[in-house]
Amino acid sequence: MSAVELVLLAIAATGFMYRLLRGPSLPDRVVGLDGLQSVVVIAIIVLAARADSGITIETVLVAVLVGFVGTTALSRFIERRGG
Amino acid sequence: MNVASEVLIIAGCALTAIGGIGVVRFRDVYSRMHAAAKAPTLGLVLVAIGAAIEIGTMLAYTTLILVVIMQLLSSPVGAHALSRASRRQIDIEMDAVDELTRDEQSSP
Repeated sequence: MSAVELVLLAIAATGFMYRLLRGPSLPDRVVGLDGLQSVVVIAIIVLAARADSGITIETVLVAVLVGFVGTTALSRFIERRGG
Repeated sequence: MNVASEVLIIAGCALTAIGGIGVVRFRDVYSRMHAAAKAPTLGLVLVAIGAAIEIGTMLAYTTLILVVIMQLLSSPVGAHALSRASRRQIDIEMDAVDELTRDEQSSP
């Protein structure tokens, strides 16, 4: 991973982590968690491209699906319980 | 080191960074959701195309196509479910008419 990509992904992760830690309401925190999951997925793809191997690329598929299930389950939880 | 894949990967990372900045700077939940749902999705698509050019095996092509399809399907659904769930929980001043409340009131 080159320095440019590392800095850009670090900026993104810092923003989402800020919103995760101090979003005033529960949906804000879910937004931060969802974005953080996207950053992790993108970082794994960039690492696989830099290592020039497709070995680690299957983990990305699992990460995307788990992130979707997490967001949907948390929004059901918010709908039932209240933010 | 392909130039096209390099440009695509850096553009995708830049879009993700823009999404992160927007999540910090925007003012209410729906605006933040707008930044967090769109920018990283397009960033993921660009990074996946760049990585597919860079790696260049059949396994990487199929897996990355699946990842892009899954993300394009799941990101709007997740954002929609979250915005619908948070509608009643937090009060935000609306710009125009609240169409969901209007529809619920008009239907028996």
